[in-house]
Amino acid sequence: MKFIAVIRQVPDGESRLKIEGGQVDLSGATMILDQMDEWAVEEVIRLQEKHGGESVVVAMGPERFEEAIRTALAMGIDRAVHLVAEGYTDPITQAEALAEVIKAEAPTLVFTGGQQADWDAQALGPAIAEALSWPVVSWTTQIELEGDSHAKAKHDLDEGAEVVRVALPAVFTSQQGLNEPRYPTLPGIMKAKRKELKKVPVSTSSKVAIVEQTIQERTRLNKVLDGKDPVAAAHELVKLLHEEAKVI
Amino acid sequence: MILVVLEHDGQRMRKGALEAISRARQLASLGPIAGVVIGENTQAVAQEAAQYLPVVYAAEVGPYTAEKWAEAAHAAVQKSGAKVVIATGSRQSRTWTARLAYRMKAGLLEDTLETSTDSQSIIGTRYSFLNRVTERQQAPLPVVFTAKPNTTPLAEPEGSGTVETLEVRIPAGVEVLERVAEQKKGVSLTEATVVVTGGRGLGSPEAFAGVEELANALGAAVGATRAVVDAGWRPYSEQVGQTGKTVQPNVYIALAVSGAVQHQAGMNKSKYIVAVNKDAEAPIFKVADYGIVGDVHQVLPALIEAAKKLKD
Ligand SMILES: Cc1cc2nc3c(=O)[nH]c(=O)nc-3n(C[C@H](O)[C@H](O)[C@H](O)COP(=O)(O)OP(=O)(O)OC[C@H]3O[C@@H](n4cnc5c(N)ncnc54)[C@H](O)[C@@H]3O)c2cc1C
Repeated sequence: MKFIAVIRQVPDGESRLKIEGGQVDLSGATMILDQMDEWAVEEVIRLQEKHGGESVVVAMGPERFEEAIRTALAMGIDRAVHLVAEGYTDPITQAEALAEVIKAEAPTLVFTGGQQADWDAQALGPAIAEALSWPVVSWTTQIELEGDSHAKAKHDLDEGAEVVRVALPAVFTSQQGLNEPRYPTLPGIMKAKRKELKKVPVSTSSKVAIVEQTIQERTRLNKVLDGKDPVAAAHELVKLLHEEAKVI
Repeated sequence: MILVVLEHDGQRMRKGALEAISRARQLASLGPIAGVVIGENTQAVAQEAAQYLPVVYAAEVGPYTAEKWAEAAHAAVQKSGAKVVIATGSRQSRTWTARLAYRMKAGLLEDTLETSTDSQSIIGTRYSFLNRVTERQQAPLPVVFTAKPNTTPLAEPEGSGTVETLEVRIPAGVEVLERVAEQKKGVSLTEATVVVTGGRGLGSPEAFAGVEELANALGAAVGATRAVVDAGWRPYSEQVGQTGKTVQPNVYIALAVSGAVQHQAGMNKSKYIVAVNKDAEAPIFKVADYGIVGDVHQVLPALIEAAKKLKD
């Protein structure tokens, strides 16, 4: 069996974002393996531990992605394919390039993040599935293989959840509750440096252009009361909400 | 031609469908609008939808899978010749619209706040970077886009259209074995004008009795952080944030919530934000309009008192 995780590198949520020339400038941000993709990586490693075979990460993005790829390798993934492409390419266009690599790898299943922490996009997993004519299960919280032909999975819907049986190969996207990702160990990090990372330059033309990005934070009033006298503070707060903000 | 995929509950169209119709009407220069109802009991829903749209297709395909929805929407695209497809920005829609966009070789604009056209392309605004950035995207036709819930006025009925049955090949691949209904009670979290959320600092599931009491006094919905949901204190359906629900009430009251970025991703667009936290340095205060630095176990009972007095 072969299990693939599709990953991306994104700014750490705690990093301050800047705008330069109408676009987000990530030069000062700490970049990390997307935490929802990390769930995908962990699940792929667990599937391999349980069922044997091989684990692979596939990523499409700029050179800097290598760091996130090494993180996945340090967690325990066997090898990586990096489609190197600078600039913005929308998820639908990316799916086409990624699907080509995945098809050649012929995996049992593919896992990726439910939503990307930079684009806030959910489309990549399902678009890859469409490109391969495979089924997709989004927001997966549990998965169990039934031989190599089917998987039983639980996933979130808009309201509630459902249990499905899926014909493999298929694409799954991750959701909270799927697993707790392991931390890379020191020997893992050392080994990752020597693992195979194949780089393939690609050029694509995005169907979607990002015309302008802005940070429109609401100016907050920041009226903070001291709670040493809780009764007085609570009455003051309720009064402010009623008379000043007029929201209760 | 524009195609609107109409979300429904098996009886009636949902609010999201009426928002999607309004979005389509805003793009009137791109031609007439058709609708499609996909799923179960589609004839009845399509009849309702025909009060809003000249042509409504009904595609009876059974319970949801992304594959069936993409297939049915694609059949409606081919039948209508639509160059723009609009759906609600729900999780399910954001899955099957990605399949559809790929199949149509279309640009996909996800979860848009507003959309317009220059007749060659669609321009949409949306949030990105965990709801912190507002971005304007543009894609040449054909385009598929989803409309973020609660962003658009609901459409009014307009004339009477016809309903046509759409034959759809039912794709295999995913078999639904079991549905798990959402646990919910009280006011709907995503529609509430006031939300009271409790975090881990409340210390126990019992302490949520106070959160519920305050919510009742204010006619509010109860929310929870992931820490609280992971601990099993509250159901997942109440979780606000990146992997939970997005809310935008008039006032969001966060009790003993630290305000992690992933939590803020679900509430940072609230009109007013209120925080109660014993730690004056907690990140939630940076986005708060009003706050109390204090022990939630003392402040919450006092807030309940004051809120009840106000409503008397
Ligand atoms: C990929 C990913 C997705 C995530 N998605 C979500 C999501 O959707 N929603 C979400 O909420 N989180 C999400 N998280 C988790 C998030 O990072 C935080 O861990 C979580 O929000 C913390 O919840 P909390 O504020 O209840 O707990 P804590 O961070 O532990 O904060 C508790 C707060 O209570 C205060 N406190 C303690 N005792 C008292 C007292 N007696 N009186 C007053 N104040 C007190 C403390 O000062 C502290 O600020 C996600 C994380 C990841 C990695």
